[in-house]
Amino acid sequence: MDLSGAPYGSLGTLSGPSITIQELKKDRISFILTETDLSVANSLRRVMIAEVPTIAIDMVEIETNTTVLADEFIAHRLGMIPIDSTDVERIKYTRDCTCSQYCSECSVELTLHVKCTEDRTKIVTSKDLVSNNPQFQPVVEDKNDQGILIVKLRKGHELKLKCIAKKGVAKEHAKWSPVSGVAFEYDPYNKLRHTHYWIEEDAGKEWPVSGNAKLEAEPNPDAPFDYNAKPDRFYIETETVGSLKPEDVVSMGMKTLLDKLGYVQMQLKEELASHQQDQTGWSY
Amino acid sequence: MTFSLKDEDHTLGNALRYMIMKNPEVDYCGYSIPHPSEAKMNIRVQTTDRTSAIEVMDKGLQDLIDLCTVVVDAFKAEVSNGDFEYDEDAVWP
Repeated sequence: MDLSGAPYGSLGTLSGPSITIQELKKDRISFILTETDLSVANSLRRVMIAEVPTIAIDMVEIETNTTVLADEFIAHRLGMIPIDSTDVERIKYTRDCTCSQYCSECSVELTLHVKCTEDRTKIVTSKDLVSNNPQFQPVVEDKNDQGILIVKLRKGHELKLKCIAKKGVAKEHAKWSPVSGVAFEYDPYNKLRHTHYWIEEDAGKEWPVSGNAKLEAEPNPDAPFDYNAKPDRFYIETETVGSLKPEDVVSMGMKTLLDKLGYVQMQLKEELASHQQDQTGWSY
Repeated sequence: MTFSLKDEDHTLGNALRYMIMKNPEVDYCGYSIPHPSEAKMNIRVQTTDRTSAIEVMDKGLQDLIDLCTVVVDAFKAEVSNGDFEYDEDAVWP
């Protein structure tokens, strides 16, 4: 079947969608998605932000907290710490697990115990968290990374706690998002006139063209407006928080989308089978 | 015929709407999220006499699965191809 962005039966390139990676670094990927519809590209963007599962601290049991920060404040800070989720597929969602509360199949336990005994200020960072599962450690960027600051201690202050990290998606809480940002652009010259502000007097003068404009031919300013044109070239750049590799975020995002579709298709078949059984049929 | 999908949103709704609408046997397809705090998405399909909404829905889902598979394969091929700027240790900027 025809998978391209063009309508049914239209002549043109029927090669289907394609991807060109422009840049791949430790924490970012930049690629161009072509020959597909805006809705599909936007689904990819949305799924990368909100539905790629990762591991994040979800429950905190505080034993001792004599620091200047309140318990819930520290618990919130702990939740935001990215945890290496490369092996996230080995962990189950707690709701799908057979255990009553949580277990090693569906969670990772991290403990922290720091006490300041010197006159100097002591900093507690994500590096002080000790994981019970070596596959799931707080993210360390490189050897110069000193960890993420959680709290500062004065002499006599102590912090002792146990964290339960769980698998989740950012639809539930943004701490599970594998990305800190997804840049999404199409039509850098605004040929389709999808963007317009009432405050503009001369859009060409007021808006500098983006870097992606270099990759497209500059349009003739006298060219008539093509009202049938549709966007089919999407410039996407994803920046991760470090819990997953950028290329994995994209492929896991697509996989999540496929799983959703497969699930809906299965549900549709089941629904149909159960309705055909009771012979009453549908009136539609 | 209207399908009501639980726990789905614009992510699936818009792409599925587009895919179903591409089918020439479909007269109308649209989706809506009746209330933003209810995790529910309704998708309405109206077809010609030659087919049924369920068939069209199934085909739409299958077409979208095929399309996503093409994107996944294209992405994997591009990553293994390695024809791009790559720096394992570089952290931006």
